[in-house]
Amino acid sequence: MIKKDLSVDFLGVHFENPFLLSSSPVDNCYEMCAKAFDEGWAGVAFKTIGPKHFKVDEVSPRFDELTKEGTPFVGFKNMEQIAEHSLEENLHDLKKLKENYPTKIIIASIMGTNEQDWEELAQLVTEAKADMIEMNLSCPQMTSHDMGSDVGTNPELVKKYCAAVRRGTDLPILAKMTPNITDMVPAAKASMDGGANGIATINTVKSIANLDIDRKTALPTVDGKGSISGFSGKAVKPIALRFIQQLREAAGMEQLPISGIGGIETWQDAAEFLLLGATTLQVTTSVMQYGYRIVEDMKNGLMHYMEEQGIDHLSEIIGAANKSIVPVDSLNRDYKVYPKIDWDKCIGCGRCYISCFDGAHQAIQWNEEARRPTVDIDKCVGCHLCNLVCPVGAISTGEVVMKPGREGNPEDIKIESPRLTHF
Amino acid sequence: MTKKYETEAPGYTMTTVMEEAARCLLCHDAPCSKACPADTDPARFIRSVRFNNVKGAAETIRENNALGAICARVCPTEKYCELACSRTGIDCPIDIGGIQRYVTDFEQAAKMDILKQGKSNGHHIAIVGSGPAGLQVATTMLTKGYAVDIYEKNEKAGGYLTYGIPEYRLPNDIVEYEIKRIVNLGANVHYNTTVGEDIMMADLKANNDAVVVAVGASESKVLPMFADNANVETAVGFLARVKEAKGNITDLPENAVVIGGGDVAMDVATTLRRLDVKNVTDMAYEEFDEFRASKKELKGTREAGVTIVDGYVPTAVNGNEVTFKHRHIDSEMTIKSNKIILAIGQRVNAANLGITINKNEEVPYAGYGTADAKVFVTGDIAQGDKTVVWAVRKGKEVAEQIDKMVMGETPAADLVGGNE
Repeated sequence: MIKKDLSVDFLGVHFENPFLLSSSPVDNCYEMCAKAFDEGWAGVAFKTIGPKHFKVDEVSPRFDELTKEGTPFVGFKNMEQIAEHSLEENLHDLKKLKENYPTKIIIASIMGTNEQDWEELAQLVTEAKADMIEMNLSCPQMTSHDMGSDVGTNPELVKKYCAAVRRGTDLPILAKMTPNITDMVPAAKASMDGGANGIATINTVKSIANLDIDRKTALPTVDGKGSISGFSGKAVKPIALRFIQQLREAAGMEQLPISGIGGIETWQDAAEFLLLGATTLQVTTSVMQYGYRIVEDMKNGLMHYMEEQGIDHLSEIIGAANKSIVPVDSLNRDYKVYPKIDWDKCIGCGRCYISCFDGAHQAIQWNEEARRPTVDIDKCVGCHLCNLVCPVGAISTGEVVMKPGREGNPEDIKIESPRLTHF
Repeated sequence: MTKKYETEAPGYTMTTVMEEAARCLLCHDAPCSKACPADTDPARFIRSVRFNNVKGAAETIRENNALGAICARVCPTEKYCELACSRTGIDCPIDIGGIQRYVTDFEQAAKMDILKQGKSNGHHIAIVGSGPAGLQVATTMLTKGYAVDIYEKNEKAGGYLTYGIPEYRLPNDIVEYEIKRIVNLGANVHYNTTVGEDIMMADLKANNDAVVVAVGASESKVLPMFADNANVETAVGFLARVKEAKGNITDLPENAVVIGGGDVAMDVATTLRRLDVKNVTDMAYEEFDEFRASKKELKGTREAGVTIVDGYVPTAVNGNEVTFKHRHIDSEMTIKSNKIILAIGQRVNAANLGITINKNEEVPYAGYGTADAKVFVTGDIAQGDKTVVWAVRKGKEVAEQIDKMVMGETPAADLVGGNE
């Protein structure tokens, strides 16, 4: 079995690997976190601890899922708020976790309704020996408008609360940002100005995943009514990656320390977040679906990726993709690349023909007798929709040609890496 | 003409293997992983596939089984992991063998070298026979740091894997690649070397800490009534001849009769059809409710167009005419054919090896030890099942027992064989 050092250093804290449970139902008590540690997670952002005066009162049921074809959990909608255990119980659990798992990292997620709450909570979790504080400025389903994403979209409030937490602790502070905002940069900058040391993002996306079309309301239905609430899982990964890239593109934030969150369930997802600049990775939805054990394949798969990349430390790839992601007007538009069809692999389903005709440029010709496609290069624009719909990987990138009148040598054009072609 | 014989059924693609892995319920405490005689952990490797970690899946398979790519193809999974699969409660079991084949094919394509030779511990073992059990013993011992010499009477290693199982079911390239891994791991294979003729057991014992006899049952049995009949060929001889010639066999008549009801009989009958023999009739001793061949093999044989008649035994032979009688009902039939192939079981040839073999073609005691403290048996000649997956299990078990002996520990009582 492959062995590689997966450890990372983040805000002055050493993590044995980048994989953490995010603040959520998956790390709600001592027993859950202990089991997760035993199965290989490096740390937890313990489920958000609120002030004593805020009473959590949850609905039942509280989850919904988005499916596509036979695939469950494409996305996951949840209505849970913050920890339902008492402040004393939560602090006790934090302390006991650190005592019994001294090498694991305990991040205390906190949320207040005013400056005093934030400062007091920061003091309490610092006394409970947490390694780091994460400020939950982003939960979209709080029953108080003084809490959650309503706060996180207001840079002034964000700065004020970060300053309050800074007064209450000398621990590193992560500010957890909401994606329910057009531009995350002002809120992120405000948190750093207030005293935060890094950003955790994204929290869940406000959503209605499905409707109960008989009762005519959103799912899940609670006594005949539904609500907008947070959406997570694989479907939000593209949104998370986009926000993280935009944070690292902003002037002065090129080295911004980030804890990446949003639809991570495989080592490949993990690698993507690392390449865009996340140093630690937080996971919930795939754990809710499959359990803590998924960390085994994320760790092992990431080790194989390190081997393939010839690196000994993950720090060598963190942020490695930031500079090659550019505005769309900076892309090379001087060439096109034709698809290449491998007739030995082709099973004659005709999916490429249908998609090309109905969704692209009518550039695939269909031989009805042989049940085989061919590419009409006069019509083909090189969009590669055919490659995406082929179920057997028979279509790959082929010949590169320069557009008429454009300069350049086709051999110098970098097309997709062979990794992406099917085995 | 040979394409039908040579072509293996297509395997999964990246997309379709994910679809099959997604059918897996990812059970807690998965029953499939407790059902493999060789301790394969399908729940673990299918989960790795589901989470896009095919390399990790390959590690899970290979670290447990030197013949992972072979078992993926030939294991009667319906009796083990797929029988235990929880998905059966919904529709049909996960195609565990098929997923394993995808993973091991990926392992080969990615040129992964998962097993590493252990640091030399200064000890040596000799293995007689390079069939599946011998290959597994070699692999386990090499990873533990032993020097390993394998003595093989034929010019190629692999035993029945190389000379028996037809190409369409187990391509020779796969077998060769699995053996190459073991040679690369440090196994020293002596080809064309028959122990007891070219080199003596006494020499092997003198030069090694232990000798493992893994000769298998390599010769076909012949009923006396079929002796010296020019129309009769043995299954072992026929399958080896076809495999060697890659299916280029020209002496086959329009119709053939196969006698036997096990997997070997199915292999022979299906091979005949794939070589375009028009009428192939298989006469089986067992009735279908007690059939020995695996369901997968039986199904493949029927799909190949073989006529299978169950419950009949041959009672008389006259040249190319064989008369069969039903075992329980009053029924008799006579078939005329210039090609009669006997697949009625195999015999062990353990001449000059100092091993006693009983009527069941195995040693007369349980376990792997023999009266000689340095000599062990494994594979088909050890008591227990005679499939590849069992050969892997027996290979691993005897390797552990020898390691404990050499390292001065006492093996678990149930692994020690009785005296002859």
